[in-house]
Amino acid sequence: MRAGSYEIKLVKRISLTNLRALMLSVIAGVVALFAFGFVFVAAGIDPFMAYQKIFSFSFFNDFGLPLTINRFIFLLLCTYAFIIPFRAGLWNIGMPGQLYAGSLAAFGVLHVLDIGKSTTSHMSPLIIWGLMLAAAAVAAAATGAIAGFLKGKYDINEIVVTMMLNYMAYWLVSYMIKEGGPFMNPGGRGESFELPSSLHAPLIWGSPYTLLIALALGLMLFHMFAKTKLGYEIRAYGQNPAAASYAGISRFRIPLLVFILGGAIAGLAGYHYFGAVPGVYKIARNYGFFGDLAFYGIICGLISRGNPLASIPVAFLFGGLSVGGRYVQGELGMSFGLDYALLGVLMITLVAFQFFYQYQIVTTRIRKETSDVGILH
Amino acid sequence: MLLKQIKPGEIVLEARGITKRFPGVIANDQVNFEIKVGEIHAILGENGAGKSTLMKILFGQYQPDEGDVFVGGKQVKFKSPLDAIDLGIGMVHQHRKLVPAHTVIENIILGHPGAGRIIDLPRVSREIGELCERYGFSIDLKAKIWQLSEGEKQIVEILKSLYRGAEVLIMDEPTAGLTALETEKLLASVETMSRENLAIVPFITHKLPIVLRISDRVTILRQGKVVASFETEHATEKSLARELVGRDILIRTERTTVEKGKPILEVQELSAFNDRDLMALNGVSFTIHEGEILGVAGVSGNGQGELVEVLAGLRPSVKGKVILDGKDVTAMSSRKRWQLGMGYVPADRNHVGSIGEFSLVENTRMNYYFDSSFYTRGSLNQHKMRAFTQELINEYGVAAPNPEVKAKNLSGGNLQKLIMARVLSRNPRLVIAHLPTQGLDIGAIEFVRNKLHEAKENGAGVLLISEDLDEIFSLSDRIAPMYEGKFMDIVPIEQARRDAVGAMMAGITLEEEI
Amino acid sequence: MWEFFIRSLDASTIFLIAGLGELIGQRSGVLNVGIEGAMLFGATLGFMTAQSTGSYLLGFLVGMAIGGLLGLMHGFFSISLKVDQVVSGMGIWILGFGLTTYLGAPYAGPLGMDRIPTVMGLSPFFVLAVVLAGAVWFVLSKTSLGLQIRSVGEDPSVAEVSGINVSKTRYYCSIMAGMLMGLSGAIYSLDYNPVWNYNFLQGWGFIALALVFFSLWNPFILLGGSVLFGTFWQLSLNPQLVLPGLMSRYVWRMVPFAITLGVLLMMSTKWFRDRWGSAKPQALGQPYFKD
Repeated sequence: MRAGSYEIKLVKRISLTNLRALMLSVIAGVVALFAFGFVFVAAGIDPFMAYQKIFSFSFFNDFGLPLTINRFIFLLLCTYAFIIPFRAGLWNIGMPGQLYAGSLAAFGVLHVLDIGKSTTSHMSPLIIWGLMLAAAAVAAAATGAIAGFLKGKYDINEIVVTMMLNYMAYWLVSYMIKEGGPFMNPGGRGESFELPSSLHAPLIWGSPYTLLIALALGLMLFHMFAKTKLGYEIRAYGQNPAAASYAGISRFRIPLLVFILGGAIAGLAGYHYFGAVPGVYKIARNYGFFGDLAFYGIICGLISRGNPLASIPVAFLFGGLSVGGRYVQGELGMSFGLDYALLGVLMITLVAFQFFYQYQIVTTRIRKETSDVGILH
Repeated sequence: MLLKQIKPGEIVLEARGITKRFPGVIANDQVNFEIKVGEIHAILGENGAGKSTLMKILFGQYQPDEGDVFVGGKQVKFKSPLDAIDLGIGMVHQHRKLVPAHTVIENIILGHPGAGRIIDLPRVSREIGELCERYGFSIDLKAKIWQLSEGEKQIVEILKSLYRGAEVLIMDEPTAGLTALETEKLLASVETMSRENLAIVPFITHKLPIVLRISDRVTILRQGKVVASFETEHATEKSLARELVGRDILIRTERTTVEKGKPILEVQELSAFNDRDLMALNGVSFTIHEGEILGVAGVSGNGQGELVEVLAGLRPSVKGKVILDGKDVTAMSSRKRWQLGMGYVPADRNHVGSIGEFSLVENTRMNYYFDSSFYTRGSLNQHKMRAFTQELINEYGVAAPNPEVKAKNLSGGNLQKLIMARVLSRNPRLVIAHLPTQGLDIGAIEFVRNKLHEAKENGAGVLLISEDLDEIFSLSDRIAPMYEGKFMDIVPIEQARRDAVGAMMAGITLEEEI
Repeated sequence: MWEFFIRSLDASTIFLIAGLGELIGQRSGVLNVGIEGAMLFGATLGFMTAQSTGSYLLGFLVGMAIGGLLGLMHGFFSISLKVDQVVSGMGIWILGFGLTTYLGAPYAGPLGMDRIPTVMGLSPFFVLAVVLAGAVWFVLSKTSLGLQIRSVGEDPSVAEVSGINVSKTRYYCSIMAGMLMGLSGAIYSLDYNPVWNYNFLQGWGFIALALVFFSLWNPFILLGGSVLFGTFWQLSLNPQLVLPGLMSRYVWRMVPFAITLGVLLMMSTKWFRDRWGSAKPQALGQPYFKD
């Protein structure tokens, strides 16, 4: 392509330094927010005012900040659930299904122990929390394992499989908590029974203790990818499965393993929102909304390029944006789904930016006009 | 079409002063070349001599930086291969440009404007049938490409060009991958075509006897320049070789015989399927001892790939046993075999032997990531890994600025050096080298062969798989010609004759006393 | 019972038309995992247009147009920008899912127009879909254009040296694919179930994607698969018609997804592949780089 006396060419990047990748990610985020500004403009609202409201509510408001932190923990866990398979070149879009499975298992523990209904327990809450966490992780890991197993053993497209599992888990939750299902709230209302107050999760600095779990997981995953044998195996498989098998890395074990790990973490996300966030403590009627929210994990994973530490600020930012989006929607009288629209716009901008991670635009001055090529007779 | 007006003996295609530069290299430097109607004009040159660049310029895939191309005396500028095709220039690719899942007919008419919007199958088959008759080709037009042999695929490529009206036929390595029998047939057809006034330009790397046999003229390229151009009748194999490499000797490895030790690898009646579930490896048995190179000679696609993969633990065997250093490893995983002393240099260094997006350090790690000596309490000792990679780079003379560059930025030769370094540094008991010098330049070929020989001198057993008889004869202690999934024989080097081995690669046992 | 049967065929229509779009795209080597997104867009914008203008025709046209635009966008990302096709497809899905939720919210509720006329209860779109399946089959297997498309999907470098413009072919196929997905979505929201509700598709697009894999890239097998799944789907919505009181209606809703998994598993086994071979376009999902 030409512009004046300059030629604009696309050149494949030979290398991408971390700094440049960071810059690109920041630019992508800014461009996405700019693009999203048009949604406000279309609704006749000043975008600067809207963003100002979003940010001040999400990050600087005593009421909004805790909501942001709760959502941040959730998104971070979903991001990790996405990242682990992503580093192996696989797409886990089954976070919703996995987190539903995890929530059901966590509440299943109470159901089995017959807590919930009698509201008293002779067991130490510590043990019960431990059991709930473990059950959530195991059940979600098992859900993930289905996709990993089918991918590793039969090479079945993991996107289709995880999506099918999402819908199955979705309806399973409905069955469990609605219309006389085993976990139904005694008051009806289409939600699950509530956690007794003795089992409300402990708070650290005003936030659920799952915050510590999520941050610790970030450090562990970072270490795993950078320094351990398993991390190397996952990355090698993700870059080139044929070369990985040459090096003795199992083409069956890695897909299975990444989906088990990713699933387990998604299960914790489910436990977090329905079992540890103050004011919820039950599988809510609108549980489908939290499933949809899990897809922000894909965006955080893409923008942090699979880096577990970079995911932390990204998840915090997007957690705030989604909370703030819902808030201004009500505040400014906009129609439902503003946070969904943000999700869509962010995603598509990021997709377009995938290009810049691979290519750079180089402009060079053209020395002389070369004649157009063609057949001369 | 321009060519119809050109009479036999006149120049049909000419290139004058062609120069083409790529970052850091001049691929073609003032190259001149011409071909007359009814002539066979071979272009000879090593890898990297600029052959494929010239070929792509003549076919319109590249545009020259300087110089002009003339067809029938008129200057032309090709924007794309389509322009070249329209002027009657056809290309027969070495890596066959055919769709495997489609039929012969579908491949021939692909992109041909004359096939009609709704494909008129009866008319098209008739026309192609006539072409076959005229040039003496026989082929089943309804067969799928994947069912065909290499020789048949080449016929399809030629037919495709002819059906589109090609009068100049550029052939890239026309005999690569063909058996001796198929080569004979092809050469006969080429001669028929030149008698029918087609101009034929075969590009050949180093099969000198073929050049001598079929061409009328030969032009030799070296480092992007034309170093010689003469009538073939004045040439000998020796004179061609001298011009080709610029020195008198071809590559020769000093082969020493080492005392044969105990058996390292014993293979008994090994059979395996290929990806299409056909029996591609069919009851192969052999033994390799310490200090010995067994050379498997064969045209690719005769089960060598399957043999190597089964030995490396990457493909299940259906029958038979593999015993590595006294242990039965038939059911063991690939990693287990690496740990037991297998070292494997795969044929595809870009997609199997290395990970392009990984740094050289991480590529070295491919054969060491499971080795506890590089970890402290499960955590990688990055410093040690990097130092080790640097050591290998120095020792093997890999041209790389530092060990952090990505593998995809290395040239083929340097990448192969890194892979060899990584594999051989494990001091493997058994080295499996699959087409280790394919596509390398002469310097790198020499290096790789010397390293394999060194490994043997150090007491390893080496399984060398190659298509190149020169390579097989210069390195092997015993030679196993392979054909259709079987070893035709295993011949000690002292008793091996080139013609007999060559014939066995084509499935023919010469009935002579040895 | 007749009504159930007819409803099943209506449901099949939606799977089939979206699947045919995906099939065309995949045959040219373009994998679009964002079918559901394109369908949501077609459904929502089609619904909005029809409701505001009172014209079904405009609704369908807008649905197809937006689908075509998304196909163009997918082409731009995956062909010109060489972004991974899965990434781009996921982008389209999430964009569709996110943006239509917001855009359609003011229109939530029934369409409120006269229903599209039917023949003995059967929607004319089923006939259209069957004719389309035949047409796609004919073009792909009997014409030069079809041969070009298939070659581009099998091995673009071969197509290129045969004088075919790979990018252009893929663009056309991707746009065509998007248009059919958009149309399918519009048929859902204007004919099958003319009520707008957020994220109402609940997996139709993903099942259509699975059906294309299942079809071995043959439009007639796709037709069969669509009828089968249309029936399952309808059954899962109205289990009382066939097996009253057997399971909770929520459990029934899981059934089509479980069957999809089962089918995918069956056709991935060696037993199946040995018998019916793998017809998968070899270059599916891979961007094409000229050298």
